[in-house]
Amino acid sequence: MGQHWQEVFLACGVLSPMISFWMLVFFGPKMGKPAAGWFAVVFGMGIPLALASAVTCHWWFIADDALRASLTANAVRFTWAHLGNTAITIGVKLDSLTVAMYFMVTFVAFWIFFFSIGYMEGHSDEVDGKCKYWRFFAYLSLFGFSMLGLVASSSLLFLFIFWELVGLCSYLLIGFYFDKQWPQYAQMKAFITNRVGDFGFLIGLMLVFLYLGTLDLDGAAAAFAHQYATHTGIFASHFTLFGWSLATIMGVGLFCGAMGKSSQFPLHVWLPDAMAGPTPVSALIHAATMVAAGVYLVARVFRLMTPDALMFVALIGTITLTAMGLVAIVQTDIKKCLAYSTLSQLGYMIFGMGCGAWIAALFHLITHAFFKAMLFLCSGQVIEGCHHEQDMRKMGGLAKKMPVTCWAFFVGVLAISGAGIPGLAIGSGEHATKLGIGGFFSKDEILAVGYARSYQWDDVSKFESHHGEEGGEAHDEARRPAEPSTAGAMLVSDPMNERAEGQAADAGGHGAGIASIFAKTPPLPKWMFLLAIFTAYVTPFYMMRMWWITFMGKPRDEHVHHHAHETWKMYVPLVVLSVGTLVASYYFFRPMIAMASRDATAAPAVMAINGELHTPAIAAAHHWLLIGAGFAYLIGFAIAIAIYRGGLDLADGIRRLPLMKQLHILLDKKYFIDDLYHFVWIKGCLLLAWCVKMIDTYVVDMVSNIMAKVVMMGASVTGNILDASGVDGVVNGVAKTSMDMSDVLRSPQTGRIRNYVMFAAGVAAVVLLIIVFRPDGAANPAAVAFGP
Amino acid sequence: MTIGLTHYLIVAAVLFCSGLFTMMTKRNAIGILIGVELVLNSAGVNLVAFDRYLGPGKLDGQITTLFVIVLAAAEAAIAVGICINLYKNMATVDVDKASRLRG
Repeated sequence: MGQHWQEVFLACGVLSPMISFWMLVFFGPKMGKPAAGWFAVVFGMGIPLALASAVTCHWWFIADDALRASLTANAVRFTWAHLGNTAITIGVKLDSLTVAMYFMVTFVAFWIFFFSIGYMEGHSDEVDGKCKYWRFFAYLSLFGFSMLGLVASSSLLFLFIFWELVGLCSYLLIGFYFDKQWPQYAQMKAFITNRVGDFGFLIGLMLVFLYLGTLDLDGAAAAFAHQYATHTGIFASHFTLFGWSLATIMGVGLFCGAMGKSSQFPLHVWLPDAMAGPTPVSALIHAATMVAAGVYLVARVFRLMTPDALMFVALIGTITLTAMGLVAIVQTDIKKCLAYSTLSQLGYMIFGMGCGAWIAALFHLITHAFFKAMLFLCSGQVIEGCHHEQDMRKMGGLAKKMPVTCWAFFVGVLAISGAGIPGLAIGSGEHATKLGIGGFFSKDEILAVGYARSYQWDDVSKFESHHGEEGGEAHDEARRPAEPSTAGAMLVSDPMNERAEGQAADAGGHGAGIASIFAKTPPLPKWMFLLAIFTAYVTPFYMMRMWWITFMGKPRDEHVHHHAHETWKMYVPLVVLSVGTLVASYYFFRPMIAMASRDATAAPAVMAINGELHTPAIAAAHHWLLIGAGFAYLIGFAIAIAIYRGGLDLADGIRRLPLMKQLHILLDKKYFIDDLYHFVWIKGCLLLAWCVKMIDTYVVDMVSNIMAKVVMMGASVTGNILDASGVDGVVNGVAKTSMDMSDVLRSPQTGRIRNYVMFAAGVAAVVLLIIVFRPDGAANPAAVAFGP
Repeated sequence: MTIGLTHYLIVAAVLFCSGLFTMMTKRNAIGILIGVELVLNSAGVNLVAFDRYLGPGKLDGQITTLFVIVLAAAEAAIAVGICINLYKNMATVDVDKASRLRG
């Protein structure tokens, strides 16, 4: 066993942007203006794209299912560290999802890097006299490293590390123009809001580590499945919070991370402000790739989700997709309008995940990445061409000045609106060419699954329970139900699955478990599905509004219009991405994800469902949904054109209508959520700080002042009494005694020789007298001497 | 009347007392020096007398006395030197004036 070249390629593709980052950090200033950018294009994304292309081509054209499965199963894991008895492993997760995501990220990012060179040409690139051109590309390279690492990680821990790195890059790039005030606030807002979500992610990670005993994606899923089947571990816990079991809390915690990164409802506030960054950054990070990381995370931990957790996911997705879609209607800043449409589309993906539409949500992620990156690049082109004007109301009539941008944008509008001709296909069978682009497949597929989950779920679950109890191949059947009911037809999977029957057979033993899942998974509330359908009408409306008032009609600002132009460096990526949007996604990415879904969605607790709406046979069974969702774009377009055909006057008129006025204020203020957060969190923080300051001033300081007083009193007692009269008294007493003694002893020292002689003689005389006349006299030497 | 030890001792005592008295009464430094010489010589007389009467046949006393004489000479030389210096400094040899080292 050793690494396969695919793993090595993907790992090198992760490392190449990092090397590019360090090279630019150290040598960027020397490379100079265009060279640093081209260096990043080649080393930061060109090499990863080449490596990813090689792996993807092999994966798609050469490898068969058996080879792919063996590559996935035999991927090498290195042990990074030991935590207690648990090894933390690191490795490349080599499966269809990673390959598809990796290719998408490198492809989109490459063209955005390319676009950036043209974009940065005309931008001020000096801060305090220091060139920051190279820094832009260094950050972009670091982002490439983080995002590719995130996609390729096999372990939740490393996924989390790269996740945070991506957040850091987002922070750095939003605040790229840090000499202005707004980007500074925006970058802080993004970072702090993401931390809130990451807090939940960390809790989820800890629960995974504690109960499932590993952070490896596959290992955790296997442990979860085992614990689910045997009712041990996390399922044995009786802990509940808000009626959620511990397993649900784990899933919701992991989803909190996705909420932050993918900017879902309570934490969505940072994304519109993230538009403070340069436009290529908005395209790359805040529309196409990074914000999709949240959806990717949910896809990866799908196997650790419980029905309750997924219901929460669906609820958050529904709120986001509807509320943010409506806000997009009233935006006038071209980038903010796109930002809100991104929020809404991310809501669709999250909603899809919550429904169990694993394939559809990821498919939508990839189609969205293509067309949203392109739309943002178009907006960058427009902003650049119009001399940094972002207000759409001042544009208009740009189609003649910027034809390529205009029509690329139009392709994006069609894609996000889900344009196509439902129910019609050229050719037949497996190779039928369906007429539609982008969201026509991906968004409608999410809606199809939502329809199945909300309207037909009772039928489906009865049907599945019945089949499940028969055992045997029930698992495979459950995932690929056959014709009997219309619901079953909804769930027909793609042809790729049929070839995999052999592989799925080993999962057959879980049949009974699957049946119980269907019994446990509640139907989706109908209002969620209806809101998703409603937003499918809103999306084409605001997109067409945007396109129309930017490119069509009469020029509204002579200065802006006069200036408008486009350059090849900027529109080449637009053309490439629009071609990608038109052709690549359905025929390439969807089958890739469908391949991935086989092992990645073998969820023990929930069911991934597959509902490809636009396959003719299935479409035939769903006239209502087909017409409801399939033609939504026409209605949206028609309303938008009707309103904005004659400029902005009609829209202004509508805005002044009684009920519309209030609605407009509500939407324009974004439901006052920003103001609420400002009031609750920022004002709350300041209030808390004020309270703490008061406590500090009047309580803590008072206590310390009292303490100081007490100490001073104690000091005065010891100083004045003990020290002054005690210690000093002893010292002074000794000194005084010495002085007195010395006075006494000094007095004989007269300095007169005669006195000394007399004194000496006197003493000698006294000694002599004592010796001579001492009382016992016996041993008197004088007496002896004088005696005889 | 034979001349015995006691007579020598009396002479020595008279000498000693004279020297002591001289030391105590004279203000002249040279006078004091003379007193000192008297005291030393009284000790010499004593030593010679004790040697003669208490330890006959030995010359300890005599030799010690010779040392005392040499010592006295050396002492006189130093003392005269002090006197000269005293005179140089104070233009007098009155020891009562030279009381700068009093306590």
